[in-house]
Amino acid sequence: MSAESEKFNLSEWIFTTDHKRIGVMYLIGSIAAFGVAGIMAILIRIEQSSLGPTLADDALTAGQQYNEWLYFHGAAMILAFLIPGLTGFAANYFLPLMIGAADVAFPRINALSVWLFWCGIIVALLGFVIPDTPDIMWTGYPPYSILTGGNTAFYVFTVHLLGFASILGAVNFLVTVIYMRAPGMGWNQLNMFVWSTVTAFVIQLVFVPVLAAAVTMLLFDKYLGTHFFDPSAGGDVLLYQNLFWFYSHPAVYVILLPALGILYEVVATFSKNKIFNYKAGVYGGMWGVVLISGEVWVHHLYISGMPNWIRVGMMISTLLISLPVGLLAISLFGTLYKGAITFELPMKYAISCLFLFLIGGLTGIPLAITALDLHLSETSFIHAHFHYIMGIFATFSVFAAVYYWFPKMTGRMFNEKLGTIGFWLNFIGVNVTFLPLFKIGIDGMPRRYWNYEMFPQFETWHFVAMIGALLVAAGMLLTVSNWIISAFNGEPASDNPWKSKSLEWTHTVSPPGPGNFLKPVEVETDWTPYDYRK
Amino acid sequence: MSQSTSAEHAHHWEVSWAPLVATFGALFLIPFAFSAYYVYEDTFLTVIFAGIGTPLMLAGIAKWVSEGITEKPLLEGVSPSGLPYFIVSEVFIFLGFFVSYWVIRLSAGNAWPPEGTPEINMFMPVIMTVILVASSITYHVAEEKYDHDDLEGFRKWLIISIGLGAIFLGCTIYEYGHLLHLGFGPSTNAYSTIFYTITGFHASHVVIGLGMFIAILIPALSGKTNKYFVFCAGVYWHFVDVIWFFVASQVYFW
Repeated sequence: MSAESEKFNLSEWIFTTDHKRIGVMYLIGSIAAFGVAGIMAILIRIEQSSLGPTLADDALTAGQQYNEWLYFHGAAMILAFLIPGLTGFAANYFLPLMIGAADVAFPRINALSVWLFWCGIIVALLGFVIPDTPDIMWTGYPPYSILTGGNTAFYVFTVHLLGFASILGAVNFLVTVIYMRAPGMGWNQLNMFVWSTVTAFVIQLVFVPVLAAAVTMLLFDKYLGTHFFDPSAGGDVLLYQNLFWFYSHPAVYVILLPALGILYEVVATFSKNKIFNYKAGVYGGMWGVVLISGEVWVHHLYISGMPNWIRVGMMISTLLISLPVGLLAISLFGTLYKGAITFELPMKYAISCLFLFLIGGLTGIPLAITALDLHLSETSFIHAHFHYIMGIFATFSVFAAVYYWFPKMTGRMFNEKLGTIGFWLNFIGVNVTFLPLFKIGIDGMPRRYWNYEMFPQFETWHFVAMIGALLVAAGMLLTVSNWIISAFNGEPASDNPWKSKSLEWTHTVSPPGPGNFLKPVEVETDWTPYDYRK
Repeated sequence: MSQSTSAEHAHHWEVSWAPLVATFGALFLIPFAFSAYYVYEDTFLTVIFAGIGTPLMLAGIAKWVSEGITEKPLLEGVSPSGLPYFIVSEVFIFLGFFVSYWVIRLSAGNAWPPEGTPEINMFMPVIMTVILVASSITYHVAEEKYDHDDLEGFRKWLIISIGLGAIFLGCTIYEYGHLLHLGFGPSTNAYSTIFYTITGFHASHVVIGLGMFIAILIPALSGKTNKYFVFCAGVYWHFVDVIWFFVASQVYFW
């Protein structure tokens, strides 16, 4: 409640190098991307809700605009909302606070990251202004991405800008955690969220460059006439798919890990409990995911053509990932055990995330198994699976984060009643949308089709899914307007309304001013951020 | 694990316009100018975008350097610890290109180099290797001079290193011109695809390294230096040098 009297100064925001303000700029940008990509999602659901063209007069336009929506929805949700929302907003604002640092190691590079991210969003949105809107999904597979009349260059540059922002963020945060922890803070005293961010950034640092290389080759193939992915001149078309998924499967863990990290914070605070199996969760779970994340990508290519012995090997390495993820799930669920649980709004989102995590995680197992995947690949089943685990689970954890830290960021409380209505609309809506897609997927509904006149039996469930999507739209509107209204007009909040033991709550005011802490932080050797027994 | 006191930063919000201006400069210079030229084939628009982007980017970098060279950072001496992480990621982007090369090369079998490849002069890469290694050594000498507070010597050896780097780039340009003249362009065949992409990507790193040197040289002419800048530019330059060994051995001599 300190910075309350400060006057709003625009240039102090635009030119800021402060990690908290950069975090807020990440939040604004990623929510904007989420909004536009969400509108695309609604349009997609409406288009599919009936057979034949629904939102266009003729089949040609319907197909073209549907492809453009798919492109923007996928690319923006993953690259411009989930990854920046988790590793941009949440990590920027709270990681330095959690380790007791005054800022990140390289504040100017941090500002560079956020502006690269904003430029990435600008390029992505310009895709709607130019006559040749990109229409190549978020995957950009050749040969279509090279042959299409759409603007593949904008896709490539979006990836470059957002990727470079991630790499610089990774360097910045790894150095920050290694060198700027408060005196006395050992590795086993870090917040789970700090660990999850560190591991996510290790993945980003190693894998993003490979994606950058892949899309650069795509750019050269389309506009400079090179032959990387052109088999007729000695290139290899599957090379792109391999390079792409070599990054893009680990990208799933870049989203999963910080999302879980947020849930650990929320669950521990509202259970007033220490983390169950902290070391197994960190060293086995998070670092285990980092270790295995680089050898699972081939399961995305089971149906692209490969020898069976590779399929079997990759099935085993893919299934191995369930060991570290299982450790993470155990320590997350175990944190609830014998806790003094209360169900404030952030906790509602966190508990619903546990449910979504189970559904999404368990439906992943059949997709790792080659024999089942050959049937389920390219059906709505896979579409529903990754929306549960990556889409909704991670989005709900971003929402949990915003609600949980809302009093810290604004010095005000959100409207609990409005937020709760929004929560139930969201939660019911996503399940109404995506549970039917599992069912019709098993029955053989292909994914990505705008028209499915050859399968009229799936129309009813698509209509149900659209109703769900509209519920979600209402819920999201309530949620985001709740944030905006409460940020300016909410009840004043105390510095630690949740009675958490973590540094960002105990050692600084809401919202923290320049330099974060009134005096330098030091911690005892037996301090932990989850010390509720004392 | 030294912790700087927050009290000295506590009274005002830190600001800098350098990152914003540099980023928007880069936005115009690369995505917009590239799209204007190659996607929409509009030379006028390309010139406009490059004309907006270049001064913005240079202004941003100049401001950044002038701030970084004098300011006391939040944590002293941490930039040499950040650079290795960045280099890890650079290694992986080069690996992305090299792996693609190996896949294409190995699947071609004996049909390599593919039809349309002229005789490539093997004397050139040897000369270029010598020049680049020499520039690493001269920069090392410059660092030695710097450590002994010999600013005059530092400037001299830094200029020599910049000169050698520029000669290296000149060799690349000469070689490209020669090969293009023989009809061996990026789109000729699979080998030309690899050749121009990997050597070009390496050359772009030489440009970045030279940019760092120049960003150190200009303030050094008026006596302003920063030991972490000097150290980091050196590490980066040596990295570019090491990568060249892989480029030369894989692309030219395999």
